Formats: sequence, structure tokens, C-alpha cells
Amino acid sequence: MRRSGYEYDVVVVGAGIGGLVCGTYLAKQGMKVLVLEQHFKPGGYCTSFRRGPFHFDAAAHSFGSYREDGNMRYVMRELGLEGKCNIKKYDPCDRIILPDGEVSFYAEVDRTVDEICTLFPDEHTGIKALFGFLINSKPVEFAALRRVTLLELFNRYFVNKKVETLFALPVLGNGALPPSLISAFTGTKILREFILDGGYYPDGSMQHLPDTLIRHLKQYGGEVSFRSLVRRIMVKDGKVWGVRLDSKDVITTRYVVWNADVRQLFLHVLPRKWLKRETVERVKSLKPSLSTFILYLGIGEPPPALPEPGTNIWFLPYYDLERAYRYACSGEINRVEGFMVRISPDKKTILAFVNAPYKTPAYWRQNKERLMNDFIDRIDRNVIPGLKNHILHKEAATPFTLYRYTLNHRGAAYGWASTPSQLFTPEVRQRGPVDGLYLTGHWTAQTQGIPGVAYMGLDTARMILKRENRKL
Amino acid sequence: MKDVVREIVSIVADVAGLDEEEVTLDARLVDDLDIDSVKAIEIAVAVEKRFGVRVKDEDLPNLTTVGDIINLTETLVRELEDEKVGV
Repeated sequence: MRRSGYEYDVVVVGAGIGGLVCGTYLAKQGMKVLVLEQHFKPGGYCTSFRRGPFHFDAAAHSFGSYREDGNMRYVMRELGLEGKCNIKKYDPCDRIILPDGEVSFYAEVDRTVDEICTLFPDEHTGIKALFGFLINSKPVEFAALRRVTLLELFNRYFVNKKVETLFALPVLGNGALPPSLISAFTGTKILREFILDGGYYPDGSMQHLPDTLIRHLKQYGGEVSFRSLVRRIMVKDGKVWGVRLDSKDVITTRYVVWNADVRQLFLHVLPRKWLKRETVERVKSLKPSLSTFILYLGIGEPPPALPEPGTNIWFLPYYDLERAYRYACSGEINRVEGFMVRISPDKKTILAFVNAPYKTPAYWRQNKERLMNDFIDRIDRNVIPGLKNHILHKEAATPFTLYRYTLNHRGAAYGWASTPSQLFTPEVRQRGPVDGLYLTGHWTAQTQGIPGVAYMGLDTARMILKRENRKL
Repeated sequence: MKDVVREIVSIVADVAGLDEEEVTLDARLVDDLDIDSVKAIEIAVAVEKRFGVRVKDEDLPNLTTVGDIINLTETLVRELEDEKVGV
């Protein structure tokens, strides 16, 4: 398929899961692919790192949508990777701890429904109806929720705000917005795809996922280059012809797939000449999602009351999620209120996180240690008694760390904030503003988490193949 | 309303990543054009922006073919014009 005169058919910018899926699929179809990544390892937010005997997942710590007809399973199957990566489901995948009690999300939905109804007996009709909607609706029925917030949707089902908090807490964690602000479209997708079908983990570490993709990319003749930052996309006569790296090297290509921060693309990387002013203004005005503060703990002999490994445990000491969000947005983040904590399957490490605002490196130098210790205190007091005496290693990633490794604007954890007004912004669709440029990943359209970006990576690859077939 | 047909075909082609010639009126959105729920909303948003109409959320699940989008848009445009002349 390669045309003479170009070094590559496709250059993918960003070796996150979306870019790797896109690149691997195109390579499998016979295109000559190069993936460029500014970091020294693949995965984006789906990477792992080692500290002595401990292996930590950096950010993503499990994924969803891997049921028989789930999107993640579909993508892996289409890539020929089903079974190539030993993926295990941890059950229950999530547990929510609230002031009145706790509820687990099991693979067996009836068991979950029973637990929730026992805690909130007056709301059992609404609880069952919401589960029915989440499980049975067709995708396009979720599309019908584009204008409403999750809170407006919940109000159709519940009277008691406490039930709303139960469902909205993992949505705040996975979408970084409270129910009054997050679109019902995104909120219900998170519940259906990550909570009702969550808890999947590639045996060993999350790094296995990008590593498996890279291995297959190479098998199909694809290449990858790390520490390669793209500074410019070269365009002539409205069509992409190459990219220029930080090193000043120019690589020629017929297509560019941008799987990185879209703000950078529109404001710095793409020559302004090819952009409408209103597009630039619109992209400038879009708000990114919040970032996160992530705590990593290595533990020796596990504390006696260690919760089940592999389960995402959510804790909130009150019911007011709006307060939790306002606190996360506020300038001062000097204590931890609500959080998520997860024991690794090997029981050697703990990952915990809170939503957090973007702050300067100087701010984190002053506050990181204090916040880390407060975080450990909270986990010890509320979820894992005795934890403090078992810690052999501790460290944390701040929003600035997230920015540094991914260059995502303000360390955003989930691309653009998923409010109804930002949902489906036409300016950041998969088809870019010049011929041969495609966008993919969590800054594109509206997509969430690993299954979301994987699915979109595949879809973007197919758009390119359709374009390719038309030319022949 | 010829304009509506041409515009809708152009919007659908753009969102689906196809050439306009490939978007026929009887093409099925999901089965033929790979329009998923995200793309369905992208189309609705583009139609609203282009024609200044408001697509009701409950109408989205009933759209099966490109022709259905055209019919709905024509109805919405007619309603908008009626409103303007005060019918």
C-alpha cells in the first residue's frame, strides 16, 4: 500500500492505548506504521513502574467492558489479541463505603441489586429500574441522554440523595465530575461499562496491555520510537506530508494520527494557516477534566484486615458529592476526604487516588509529603486498619507528574470535562481539519477510559482504511 | 428542501469518514455506515448547528437510515419556518 516518496503510510503520535490500537490495526492491514512517543515507555496512563521488589501501576489500575460483547473484548478480538494477554476479572470489581454502610458491585448483578435494596429499601423500585435501564438499553438510547446531567437522570429514579451518591461516587472517580455537572451520557457509560462490567486486569501489571500491543505492532512490520516529541505537523496544499520532531528530524508520511493533547495540536503543532479562527477559539475555551493525586504504597507482611485484592474500594465520609468536587477543585488541597484505594492482586502494593487540581511543581514540593501522610492516615483509619505499620515504600504522583509523563493539558485525567455543553464538540472530531490528519484518544469526541480509547483507536484506523480503499 | 438532502449527506459522510457518494438515502446508520452512539450525537449536534433547529433526544433512537435523518430535519426546518411567520 506504500506510495513512493514517503517513509511511512501512517505516523501515530502518542503510544497510549488509543494510538497503539490504531497503529497495530493499520499495520495488520498492511500499512507501514511508525508510532512516536515522547515518554520512554508505551501506555500513556496505562503504564507500570518498578521500585525494588514492588511493581506499581502508574494510573490505570483495571479496566472494564471485557464481557463477551464488550467493546474492549471486541477490540482485542479484531486485533487478534484475545487470549494473548492473560486477563483476569476481579469480583467484586468495586466496593462503595458510605456512612450508612457498604455495597459491592459483583459480576452477579442480582446480588448487587439485593445489597443496595437492603441498604435503601424505600428506593428498591428505582434501583431496579436504573439497573434495567443500564443493562438493557441499546447504545443509541444512551445517545438520547446527551443534554441531561446524571443528576437529572437520577432524579427520574430516586428520591433519596444517598442512593444517588452511591452510584455517583465511582462516576466522580472515573469521570472527575459530580452528578450535577457530568453528562448522563458519560455517567451511564461509566456505570455500565466500568462498574457493572469492570475489574479486569492483565496478569502481572497494566503494562502488559501496551507491551502486548507493541509486540504485535512490530510483528506486523510496525515501528515505534520513544523519546520522540513531535513539534510540527507538515502540511502542503491542505494535505499532511510529514512531522518534525524536537530533534529537528523530519519524517514523511501520508497520514498522521494524533493520539495526544488536542490543545497542543491546535495551538502549537498544526500550522495556524490551516485552522479557522473559530476552531482555535473554541478549543481554547474548552475545559479539561480534573487531574488526580495518586499514592503508591509498597507493603511487607500484609496487615491482618487487608481487603480483597483487585477490588476498587471507594470511600466517602459524607453524602455530598458536590462538596467533594468543590474541594478537589479548590486551590488548597491539604487533606483527603473521599478516595479510592485498591490492593494489587499480588498483595504487595496499594494504589490510592483522589481527584486533584493542577498546581505548580513548587506547590507540590511544599505540600506533597503532608498530603501523602494525611492520605495514609485516612486509609488506615477508614479502610485498612494497621496499614501504617506495614509500609515499606511510599511515593506519590501529583497532577504535575501526570502532565510531565503524558503532556496532557493540566494533567487532565480524562480529556475534556464531560459536561453536556462540551459533549461532542464538532471541532475535536476524529477527522482532523486537514486531509490526512486524524484525531483519536480521550481528547477526541467523547470517550472514557481504556475501553473507550481502544474502541476509538480501532474506529479511527477503520476511517483511514476506508479512505485508503477509495483511493485505490 | 434539496439543500437539506445535500447537507445531511455531507454531515453523515463527514462523521462516518466516507465520501458523499457512498452515503445513500437508504443506507442504514448502524449496519451500513458504522454509526455508533457517539457518532449519532455528533450528527445531531451538526444538524442543530447547520439548521438552527433542536433535535429532540427521544427522536434519536428512532433514526435508522440516512433518509430518516433527512425526513426529521425537513420537519424540524418546516416547524422553525412556521414559527418565524407566526403560524
